[in-house]
Amino acid sequence: MERSFKEEVKSLRLTTGDVFTGEGILAVTKALLQSGVSYVGGYQGAPVSHLVDVLTDAKDLLDELGVHLETNASEAAAAAMLGASINYPIRGAVAWKSTVGTNVASDALANLASSGVTGGALIVIGEDYGEGSSIMQERSHAFAMKSQIWLLDPRPNLPTIVDMVEKGFELSEASSTPVMLELRIRACHVHGQFHAKSNRAPAISRNAGLENPTFDYGRIVLPPSSYVQEKHKVEIRWPAAVKFVQDNKLNEMFSGSLDEIGVICQGGMYNVVIRSLQQLSLADAFGESKVPIYCLNVTYPLISTEIQQFCTGKKAVLVVEEGQPNFIEDAILAALRRGDINGARIYGKDVLPMAGEYTGEVVLSGMSKFIERSAPRGVDIASIAKKRDALLAPKLQAGELFGGPLPTRPPGFCVGCPERPVFSAMKLIERDTGKFHMSADIGCHLFSTLPPFNIGNTVLGYGLGLASNAAIDPLFAKRTVTIMGDGGFWHNGLTSGIANSVFNKSDGILVIMNNGYTSATGAQNIPSSPHEPEAKMTGMSIEAALKGIGVNWIKRVTTYHVGEMSKTLKDAMSSSYNGLKVVIAESECQLEKQRRLRPVVSAALKAGNRVVRTRFGVDEDVCSGDHSCIRLSGCPSLTIKDSSDPLKVDPVAHVNNACVGCGLCGEVAHAAILCPSFFRAEIVQNPTWWDNLKWRLRATVIGWMQPA
Amino acid sequence: MNLPERPITILIAALGGEGGGVLADWIIAAATKQNYPVQSTSIPGVAQRTGATTYYIELFPAKFADLGGKRPVLALTPSPSNVDVMVASELIEAGRAMQNGFVSPDRTTLIASTHRVYTTLEKMHMGDGRIDGDRIIKAAETLAKRNVLFDMQAIAQDSGTVISAVLFGALAGSGALPLSRADCEAAVHGGGRGVDASLKGFDLGYKHAAGELKAAAPEAVKRWMDHPSERVKDSFPIETHRILEEGVARLVDYQDTRYATQYLDRLKPIAKLDRERGGQALGCMLTNETGRFLALWMSYEDVIRVADVKTRKSRFERVRGDVMAKPGEPVHIVEYLKPGVDEVAAMLPTSLANRLVRWTDKRGLTHKLNKGMYIKTTSIVGFGLLRGLAALRPVRRMTSRWQAEQTLIDRWLGEVQAAARRDLQLALEIGLCGRLIKGYGDTYKRGRGNFLRILDHLVTGTQFTTDRDRALAIKSAREAALADPEGRKLEGNLSTHGVTPLPPEAKPIKFFRKKPGSEERRPA
Repeated sequence: MERSFKEEVKSLRLTTGDVFTGEGILAVTKALLQSGVSYVGGYQGAPVSHLVDVLTDAKDLLDELGVHLETNASEAAAAAMLGASINYPIRGAVAWKSTVGTNVASDALANLASSGVTGGALIVIGEDYGEGSSIMQERSHAFAMKSQIWLLDPRPNLPTIVDMVEKGFELSEASSTPVMLELRIRACHVHGQFHAKSNRAPAISRNAGLENPTFDYGRIVLPPSSYVQEKHKVEIRWPAAVKFVQDNKLNEMFSGSLDEIGVICQGGMYNVVIRSLQQLSLADAFGESKVPIYCLNVTYPLISTEIQQFCTGKKAVLVVEEGQPNFIEDAILAALRRGDINGARIYGKDVLPMAGEYTGEVVLSGMSKFIERSAPRGVDIASIAKKRDALLAPKLQAGELFGGPLPTRPPGFCVGCPERPVFSAMKLIERDTGKFHMSADIGCHLFSTLPPFNIGNTVLGYGLGLASNAAIDPLFAKRTVTIMGDGGFWHNGLTSGIANSVFNKSDGILVIMNNGYTSATGAQNIPSSPHEPEAKMTGMSIEAALKGIGVNWIKRVTTYHVGEMSKTLKDAMSSSYNGLKVVIAESECQLEKQRRLRPVVSAALKAGNRVVRTRFGVDEDVCSGDHSCIRLSGCPSLTIKDSSDPLKVDPVAHVNNACVGCGLCGEVAHAAILCPSFFRAEIVQNPTWWDNLKWRLRATVIGWMQPA
Repeated sequence: MNLPERPITILIAALGGEGGGVLADWIIAAATKQNYPVQSTSIPGVAQRTGATTYYIELFPAKFADLGGKRPVLALTPSPSNVDVMVASELIEAGRAMQNGFVSPDRTTLIASTHRVYTTLEKMHMGDGRIDGDRIIKAAETLAKRNVLFDMQAIAQDSGTVISAVLFGALAGSGALPLSRADCEAAVHGGGRGVDASLKGFDLGYKHAAGELKAAAPEAVKRWMDHPSERVKDSFPIETHRILEEGVARLVDYQDTRYATQYLDRLKPIAKLDRERGGQALGCMLTNETGRFLALWMSYEDVIRVADVKTRKSRFERVRGDVMAKPGEPVHIVEYLKPGVDEVAAMLPTSLANRLVRWTDKRGLTHKLNKGMYIKTTSIVGFGLLRGLAALRPVRRMTSRWQAEQTLIDRWLGEVQAAARRDLQLALEIGLCGRLIKGYGDTYKRGRGNFLRILDHLVTGTQFTTDRDRALAIKSAREAALADPEGRKLEGNLSTHGVTPLPPEAKPIKFFRKKPGSEERRPA
């Protein structure tokens, strides 16, 4: 795993009276234990990976409490696990990245929501929306609405988040409905404090198991139960939830002196709303706002009576709702119309943008427009506009000073990444084959679509690379290529892609990136990880799975061997073999490898043992500054610098000190017949007497022949 | 007591893997120890993989004890003109912060390293695609309330630490936070690994920001040989001495004095025209630039040259420095070479070379016989082999490559000279086309091909109304030639002047497809 959570595990043991300090998602983890969960599961993905990661490191604590931790094979598996709470009074929680994870999980979620739950079921979703996101921009809100799952969107501070976890279980039990806790990226990673409580050992646990199964046909999603369940949802569960939310005041009302107007916001938007009001001198640093605020820590269901009450007597209300469509704004309009409350003009996506993250700048602009248009008594509208313009002026000025946009810096393959050479090889064979269609997949390998490679034409979902090639393959005049990561392979690619492809006699080429981990999400282990802890050694192998499913053309190639990789891909393209051709591109994730090796090497060096360090370099006297090597590699450590040659004007290629010595640049120079500039340097640290003797002997002889 | 009106806001822009998160943790730890309300957020995820990312911190400058139970509401995203301290680990990232409105003249202290980590788009350009960093420094002088700008990467490297430690030192030294030096150092101590190196980097960062240390002037990058030449001094204008003397020294080093004399002989008529037609007002650009590319072209890199420069003592020493070897550590150097038919033919006399290439072409072997070799230059055998090749220098004049290069050089210079009689700007544009001739193997062939396309179709051939038009056409074609490796941009550019584009290269691989409804195969 990318990170060790040894320190964080300690804070999971805090007891009542202690102060917890740490990240939002770890606070959620602690809150789960405080709520007495019996089981926790999930699938990794930023920004919620840490929840399962930290529990993986907290085995002792979980054993003491009897909590079952499952690292699920997919979000669908995680959601299905919540089935334990349908019949039994067992609290459980699962976590994943949304909306992608919720998409995968929705089959199980819809069934779960129909059956209803006895024990509290909490789904922690990391809403990967806005800056730093790596997925399509959608809302999880729609899932809550369609399956009737309650949606919590707490104010992004640790005490509120923790409170909402605990209340979320109670709400779930009070209304027999699963509950989603939505946390945006920054809220997951917000660093703060809350007053901890002691952990609660669950009544039903691995230490105190169930004895008798409960059978209740009413919980089975099959007619006639399913019809009854739908009625139960709206007639019993919905009113119960509304009552619970109202009784426990989960939504918050903040009064203010400018009571002609008001703001209704999602809980997650509260802090940015307050900051925009501060910048316009309408609130102080402690959240004392002149503008009344109704903060929705529960965004589904909405409480009509609270909305009507808040808007009564106001002439204008701003709805700050991130993402689209604007479900909440529309629902508020409907609630007011039904309640015949027509005095308040509702602002929302007219002053704020329909799409995109609500950053400080966006909300500031929207808020000032709202204030200007609603013109509440006691506010100098001209000064508001002036303030906003002054705040935005430096941005405009910077634009003028630069004269054009700065180059972007998207994420890319790490130094020494074993996946990069596969795309170097593809770039090379393009010379012989022309460009070919590539169906890409989710994972670090999707960086192939960025410069310098620009390879990969579509991406349809995790593990779905091969499935997405199903119609491309027969409809293309030449063979096409598909990528799948080992993470995607185990997530669902084995069935949805490979089994499907073999069954339908497809003729495609599949490259499986076997780097040992789900690297993009933080290098979590998967069934075929090479360095599993002993307890998890399963012997599960990709190749065995492929053979078992009927794939007969399988080639395993070490990714760094660019020449061999190119040849294998060319063979696959021109082979007369009819059927799925699979190239397993093997080499361990370099991040994980370095993490494993670094302490070993530094210990060896400290002990005075001989260690050979390998690094690559470019001879700047020989480099001509054409940068073909960079166009075929893109390694961050292969960069450029001013040539020290006074006559050369173009910068020369240069390998910086981040180099881990993977050798790709040299391999590419060889495979592409680029130039003689690359060299490998082997630095012998702590040399033995034999090393020194050989070295001195050679240096002497070479010295006789060597010019300055 | 009067409580502060607003929190101190700190935005950190860093690249994935640079330790921006560690820096944020240090600030949090130091502030927490002093009982200030503090909050940080980040957007790790996939941006961590080498991309640009940010960390945002808000620190309320009044201690918990003085708040009387009140708690500030701290934001999770930065707002424009609402950032007190902007920390950037790299120059473009500082620029990006300005572009997003996070640097404002009324309150922002900008703490940024001035070194560059080039973006992929800047690096992959076929010539020089770097953006001008000075623009960003100038903008910072206008936009920030205060600037703390120096090369922190160099200091980090010297201290054996990462840039976050130097940034933290600079942040502490800037006095922008209510945290003392000791508070900050304690936070570094608490961080665990690499404490000593971190503290060293911190110390230097602190001193630079506090004005106790001045950044050393950057070392001159260019290694001029500075060999005076009587003839250059006597017969060429002073503005050209530096480059021409370098050219002379280069060619003596490359071949012999006779070759250097030929270099000056070739330049003489051009320098004369340059002077006569008032080129001195332009700093003798024509002579300088033609002289620059002529020297580079005349010292083209063949097997002899490569073997020579790879076996020099100065090179061995440079490699040791590049790979940061400690004194006493043996450093073995293994060269990645892959010579083939082209390299062999280049070393043969023209008639033999032609016969060899004809023979291999007929069998489709010209590009298939390249032999990948790993030669250990630091071994006696490897070194001896390369020195042996370098020793072929005296026969260089008899090789086919020599003949071919000299012929094309003379043609190019002839065009420069002819143009100089009419229009200096046109001559300069033709001279600058020398930049296209570089590299090895396919790169060399591509550059030479592009050069010839321009020479054949724009320098001569196509009609232009004025010489200025011709000069502009050559300039834009030259830039197009450096814009994409497949040469499609150049062909597109040439076609605007009525030149028929070359067809894209044929792709030799055959694909097998199944016929619909049958299991049989046929080549597509």
